[in-house]
Amino acid sequence: MRPYQIATAAVIVLIAAVAMFDTRSGALPDTSGGAPGGLRGGWYPFWSATVMSIAALVIAYRTLVTPQPASGVFKDRQGVVYVVRLVLPMIALVLLMAWPLGFYLSAALYSAWFAFAVGRYRWHWAAAMTVLIPVATYLLMEIAFKTALPRSIFFTMGLPF
Amino acid sequence: MQVFSDLALGFATALEPFVFAMIVAGVFLGLIIGILPGLGGTSGVAILLPVSLFVAQQNPQDPTGAVALLAGIYWGALFGGVVTSILFNIPGEPWSVALLFDGFPMAKRLGQPGLALTLAFTSGLFGSLVAAVLFSFFAVPLSEIALRFGPAELFAVFMMAFATLVGLESGSPLKSIAMIMFGLLLAAVGFDTITGEPRLAFGQIGLLSGIGFIPVTIGLFGIGEILASAEEAGTSYERIAARLGLRDLLESLRQIRRRLGMLGVNTIVGFFIGVLPGTGATPASFLSYGVARQYAGEKERANFGKGEPAGIIAPQAAANAAGVGSLLPMITLGVPGSPTAAVIMAGLFVWGLNPGPLLFTEHRAFVWGLIASIYIGSLIAFVMCFFATPLFASIMRVPYAVITPIIVLASILGAYAVNNDMKDVGITIVFGVMGYWLRKMKYPLAPLVVALVLGDSTERELRKGLISSFGNPAVFLGFTESGFSPVAAALSVIAIGLFLLPLVQYVLRRRRTRAEELASELTE
Repeated sequence: MRPYQIATAAVIVLIAAVAMFDTRSGALPDTSGGAPGGLRGGWYPFWSATVMSIAALVIAYRTLVTPQPASGVFKDRQGVVYVVRLVLPMIALVLLMAWPLGFYLSAALYSAWFAFAVGRYRWHWAAAMTVLIPVATYLLMEIAFKTALPRSIFFTMGLPF
Repeated sequence: MQVFSDLALGFATALEPFVFAMIVAGVFLGLIIGILPGLGGTSGVAILLPVSLFVAQQNPQDPTGAVALLAGIYWGALFGGVVTSILFNIPGEPWSVALLFDGFPMAKRLGQPGLALTLAFTSGLFGSLVAAVLFSFFAVPLSEIALRFGPAELFAVFMMAFATLVGLESGSPLKSIAMIMFGLLLAAVGFDTITGEPRLAFGQIGLLSGIGFIPVTIGLFGIGEILASAEEAGTSYERIAARLGLRDLLESLRQIRRRLGMLGVNTIVGFFIGVLPGTGATPASFLSYGVARQYAGEKERANFGKGEPAGIIAPQAAANAAGVGSLLPMITLGVPGSPTAAVIMAGLFVWGLNPGPLLFTEHRAFVWGLIASIYIGSLIAFVMCFFATPLFASIMRVPYAVITPIIVLASILGAYAVNNDMKDVGITIVFGVMGYWLRKMKYPLAPLVVALVLGDSTERELRKGLISSFGNPAVFLGFTESGFSPVAAALSVIAIGLFLLPLVQYVLRRRRTRAEELASELTE
């Protein structure tokens, strides 16, 4: 547990450090009268980041000096596999959605993956799920709420999705 | 009493068949909008504004029906957000985020989705009705008080909201502070609200528009929870039998009766926060969650975050009360108390009604009809919710391989639909993974979201206060340019006290354990 806690705190400090570097010009109150109320735009984020990094440093220090639970971070190997199997298709879904498949085709692929690989449903149930989820989304978003979702590259060829 | 005859006039207006039908239709639409994650009350009212115009055309002399439709949507959405929060751990509405902390654990870990839902509905109804009574009686005087709130007072109110979050969830206060600051930092991305200079955008045009709290919240809570539960339970999905009926209602009434004082306080606080311009239901729900936790008994407090009834009752009552309250300054002053109130106000302008004190004299039947619609709409929403709850709860019996893609796609849709922007979808996924990890490392997620939601307003009030005092920070202790403000001073002192409370508790606890150690050494 300890190395993970310290690594997490280190990442928080890193994020804060980047933010502090970006807003360093506004860190001190402006006494020249040039900024409204004496503060420039960087003041608020700079000091938020400062407090954030101090908190993370103290957390890291306390993790070092106090006893930590012996248990591991992950439940077991299988648990990690489940998480990875969920995260990777999700990232693929979003990337394909941005280009070239658009929402409906990538949603169909994603549903199909769950139906076949995770649920291991018989093919007609899986096919029904693959079709019904995008169609229901289409009816709800495009027809009822008039919100257009990203289209695939085939849209320009005259296909409706 | 003038109020009673006014209210009678209002009910007569709101119970006209056409107006009543519009309220029912609005509540139904609002419930659906509330249940859909990401599609909030504000966007729902905005999307259906054209529909209400169509309604207004049917009866051009009297736009009450059209406004009743919009208001009905709002009352419905206040209730509908409950369902996805409790059953899926995805906030259907920003003001339902506070329900995730205890509502979802009660539904899942304690296996009581029916009780969690009825608790939220019942306390929501209580909040709405009490707020409606307050609205009727204190409409004019209350708005006058809120009008006098300046930046110093508002800043103190925001500080109170943050202070109650430090040491929320039983984890380390330091981790809460780190998360609050992270939220403030994320809120600062984009343009500075006062001077308009870009900051923390690193030359990326996409970042200039800032980081929205809806994609972040959907990621942290929706996606993060799916990942966490996949690790715990694998692909087997917990099936929870949704027992719901009179028993759940009676049980939730019993739970509520035991906490009536706390509920009353939170409702009134929620209502008043709603009345403050620019705040609305979301901060009210967070603040009262913190307050309820802070004032709970030792045993109850340990139960917070694990399905504590008070953690459901307090935020929902406050959210509904604030939702009602946010319409008050809109009607009496023309200053919308929340984004949704602003959209409804846009509707009033379209129909030639100018919100402001004159509305009470020129369109008496209309104003009081709107007020009566709060009572009627909330009751209808409650009844609809109660009877549809078995249907909602049965959603939990759908198998994992079907429900998971639906939740993931709904989360992505919710993130996308806010601005029609793929960037927000990316943010949702990034924060989903981050939420999964932070949860593992025992960092509380609620403070991050609250700080992200309130970050801009907090900074704006801070800087406005300093501008008004020519850079003198004493303004936040009540020493304004126009004289001493006891309200600002009192609110600031309360906020500072709340911040110091965890520290004081820590010192006291240490002293007690040390005294106990000494005592045990002496007896040995």
